[in-house]
Amino acid sequence: MITAERKPFEQIKAVTDQFENILVVGCNTCVAVCLTGGEKEAEQLASQLRLQRQNDGVGGTVETVTVLRQCENEYVDSVAAQVEGKDLILSTACSIGPQLFADRFPKVRVAPAMNTNMLGVVKQHHVWTEYCAACGDCGIFNTGGICPIVRCAKTLLNGPCGGSQGGRCEISPDVPCVWQLIYDKLASFGLEGNLSRIGGPKNWSKSSSGGPRTMKKEGFEP
Amino acid sequence: MERKLTENISRSSARPVPGDARLRPPCEVACPIHTDAQRYIQLVAEGHYDWALAIIRETNPLPQSIGRICAHPCEEACRRGGVDEPIAICNLKRVASDGAKASGLGYEPPKVEFTTGKKVAIIGSGPSGLAAAHDLALLGVQSVIFEKQPEAGGFLRTGILNYRLPKNILDEDIDYIRGMGVEIRTGSAIGGEINFDDLVQEYDAVLIAVGLSESRPLPIPGADLPQVLLAVPFLEDVNAGRETSGLGKDIIVIGGGNVAIDVARSAKRITGGKVTMVCLEADHEMPAHDWEIADARAEGIEMICSQGPSAFVGDGKVEGLQVKKCESVFDEHGRFSPTFCETELSVIPGDTVIVTIGQMSNLTFLTENGPAVNERGILIFDREQCTTSRRGVFASGEVVTGPGAAVNALASGKRAAIAVARYLGVDVNFSHEPVAIGEVPTDVKEKIKSAPRRQMPARDSGERLKDFEEVETGLGEVDGRCEASRCLLCGSGARFSETKCIACLTCVRVCPYGAPWEDKDGLGGIDPDKCQACGICFTQCPAKAIDLVMLSEDEISGRIYEAVSAGGDLELGCWYSQSRVAPDAALVALPCTSRLSVSLLLGALEAGATKVHVAVCSEDDDGHFVHGHRQTRAAVTEAKKLLEEAGLDPEKIALELVAVKKCMQST
Repeated sequence: MITAERKPFEQIKAVTDQFENILVVGCNTCVAVCLTGGEKEAEQLASQLRLQRQNDGVGGTVETVTVLRQCENEYVDSVAAQVEGKDLILSTACSIGPQLFADRFPKVRVAPAMNTNMLGVVKQHHVWTEYCAACGDCGIFNTGGICPIVRCAKTLLNGPCGGSQGGRCEISPDVPCVWQLIYDKLASFGLEGNLSRIGGPKNWSKSSSGGPRTMKKEGFEP
Repeated sequence: MERKLTENISRSSARPVPGDARLRPPCEVACPIHTDAQRYIQLVAEGHYDWALAIIRETNPLPQSIGRICAHPCEEACRRGGVDEPIAICNLKRVASDGAKASGLGYEPPKVEFTTGKKVAIIGSGPSGLAAAHDLALLGVQSVIFEKQPEAGGFLRTGILNYRLPKNILDEDIDYIRGMGVEIRTGSAIGGEINFDDLVQEYDAVLIAVGLSESRPLPIPGADLPQVLLAVPFLEDVNAGRETSGLGKDIIVIGGGNVAIDVARSAKRITGGKVTMVCLEADHEMPAHDWEIADARAEGIEMICSQGPSAFVGDGKVEGLQVKKCESVFDEHGRFSPTFCETELSVIPGDTVIVTIGQMSNLTFLTENGPAVNERGILIFDREQCTTSRRGVFASGEVVTGPGAAVNALASGKRAAIAVARYLGVDVNFSHEPVAIGEVPTDVKEKIKSAPRRQMPARDSGERLKDFEEVETGLGEVDGRCEASRCLLCGSGARFSETKCIACLTCVRVCPYGAPWEDKDGLGGIDPDKCQACGICFTQCPAKAIDLVMLSEDEISGRIYEAVSAGGDLELGCWYSQSRVAPDAALVALPCTSRLSVSLLLGALEAGATKVHVAVCSEDDDGHFVHGHRQTRAAVTEAKKLLEEAGLDPEKIALELVAVKKCMQST
C-alpha cells in the first residue's frame, strides 16, 4: 500500500492562510488504511484549521469531504459540487490525489496536506515498513522473496557490503542486514550456493527514469 | 390513519445478522411486553430517571406497580448472569419511577385525542384491562372500564398485599391512565343492572378482561367446616382492611404458588401464630418464585412439601388436615398429573385451613347470545386475534391465558388493544418480533470485571411481621446507579457500515474483546455477542465506517453542543466515576470516555467550550471497560498536539483522573 504522512502543520498553515474558503478532501483508500488521511483524519485537520483560523482572526470557511479514491477521475468528479466556490482544495491523499484534483478543477488552487513516502506493509497496528520501490523489474525470486533494492540501505544487488555487523546494517542496529536475511532464507532451502553466482544487470529503464511511466492493459479499451 | 405501537407480534423469522434492528438484548426479548430494559437501565446509570421512566412507559402502563411485583423473566435471560449475577432489572424499574417521582417529572399523563370516535367497553380493571385501555387511548380509541369492586386494579388490588404493593402506588399508576381519558366505573358489575347484551349494543367493541376472581374449592371430606377458608375472599378481606373471621393461631395454607405465599404471609401478620404451607410439589418444584419462598421462610413460615390433602379433620371445627404422600406431580410429558401413595397418611394439626390451589373466572354475566364457553366453562378464544365467538367481543388476560405473572396479563391486554383497534379500522404498525443476541463468549467473560449485584434492602423480618407496610425499601440512588452500571449494554455497541468499510482491519486489531471480524473478501461486521459497547473501534476507524448504536457520534456531538452553546467549561466523563473533576463545568457523561474521538474533543472547543476536562480512570484501573482509558489518553494527547500546532493553548483540553465507583471494582 502507498503510505503517506501529514505535513507539519506549520507548512499547511503557511499555504492555507492565503485562502479564504478551503475544502479539505480526505481519501478513503491507502492513506485511510495507514491512518493518516482518511475521512476521520481529514475532519480532524479541518477542525484544527478552523480553530487556528478562529484564533488568528482569519475569516472564511473550512469544509471537508472524503472520496473513496482520489486516484480515480470518477470519484474526484463526484465532489464537484463541494468544490464550487472554494479557493483552495487541501488534499489528504497521497500525491496522486492533489494532482488529479488540479487536473479536474483547473481554476481552483490545490495543495497537498501529505508527504507520500513509501510502499509498505503493516508490521503491526500503527507501524508500516517499506517493502517495495516500484522499480519495475522484480527479481525477488532469486533473493528468497526479499527485495534488496528497497531494504538495503545501499540498494546493493550483490551483497552484503562490508558494513554488515552481526546481521545488522551499519546505518542502525535496528535495521537488519537484508543480505543476511537473504542468505538465511536461501540457506533454509539449501540454495545458499546460488549467491556465489553474480547477478546480472538490472533493467533500470523500467524505473523512474526516462519520463513518467504509463501502464496500459491491452484489450480493455472501451 | 397509521398508528405506531411498540408492541411486537410473533412471526417466524430467520436469525438476524449483526446490525439487524431485530437483534435485541435477551432481557428485552424475554420480557412479555418487550420493555427496552437496557435503555432505561442506561438512563438510570446516568441519573436521568424521568427519561428512564419514559422508556418504561413506552411499553408498560403500570411502571410503578410492576416495578415492585414483576416476576422479571428478564433477569433470568440477563447475560450478566453468565458472568456473575444478573442485573436487578426489576428493582431498577422502581429506582427509575421513584427517582422520577422525587424530581416531579414523568408523571404527567400525555394529552390524548380520541380521534377515531370509537368507544370500547372493558370488563375488568386488572392489569390486562388497564393495559388495553391505556394502549387503546394511545391509538385514539376511548374506553370505559367496568369494575365490580369498589376500587380499580383487579387482582393487583384485591390479591396482592400492601407489603408487596402499596395501594397508593397502584393508585398513582391507575390515576395516570385515568388522566389519559380512560373512564373507570367502579362498583359496576356486568350482569346486574348492566346487561352484557346492552353493552355490546352500546359500544363499538367489548373486551372481557375479568381475570380469575374466584378461588377454586377443594372438594374433599370436611370442606364445609367453618374454618376452611378460600384464598380470594381471604385476600380481599385483608386488602380491604376488613376483619378476617375464623382465623385461629395454627393455620395451614394449602398450595405452593405465589398466591399461597401471600396468603401465608398475610395470615402470619394478622395472627402472629403458626403458619404452615402444605403443597403437592417437592421443595424444588414449588411453583412460587424462589425469592417469594425465601421471604416467607425468613418470616417463619414452615413448608411441608410432597403432601396431598385428603380430608379436613375435625368434628364441628377444624382440628387438622389429613394428607397423603405425593409421589409425583407431573407425568412424563410435564403435565400436571399427581400420583399418591394412598397408604402413607398423616395428619397435620391446625385450627384453620386456607385453600389456595388455584383460581377461576366468574363468567355468569355472559348471556345466552354468547360468547361461547367450552364444557369446562372456559371462554372459546382465538389466541392470535383475541376474539371470542361473538363478533365485536374480545378477551384478554388470565380469563383466557390462565394464571400467570401480572406482566403476562399486561402483554395480553396490549395484544388485545391492537386487535380491537384493528377491528375498529385503526391502521396499527407493528415492529418485528425481536431476536435475542447470544451468550457472552467465554473469552469475553474473562475480560469483564466481576461486580456484586446490589441487593434490595428490606425491613427486618421481625419488624415487618408487625404490620402490612412495604417490606422492600428500594435500592436508593447510589445503589441504583451502581447496579445500573453493571449492565453490559448488550447489543448497543458498534454499528458497522459495509458500504463505508475499507477493510483496513483497524477495528479487528484494536478491539479488546475480539468482536469485529473481516473475512478474506473484505466483508466484515461486529459480533454483537462479543461487543461490550466501549467505543474503541468507533474512535479508531479511519473511514468512519463504525458508529455507535447507543449514543452515536451525532448524539454525543449534539449533547456537547447543547452543553457548551453558551460557553463555559465542559466536563466529559463516564457514567461510572465517583466524583466530578470540574463541578462548575457542564457535564456530558458517556458509557466510557474511550468514545471520545479527537474530532469530538476539538469539536467541543469549536462549539464554544472554554476548556474541556476529560475525566479518565487511572492507568492501573480499567474501570468498566478493558483498555478504555488508554484510548482516552491517546485521543487527548493527539488533540492537545493538534491544538499546540494550531497555536492554541493545549491546556484547553485537560486529562484529569477520577475514581471509579466502588461497585465496578473487582470483587
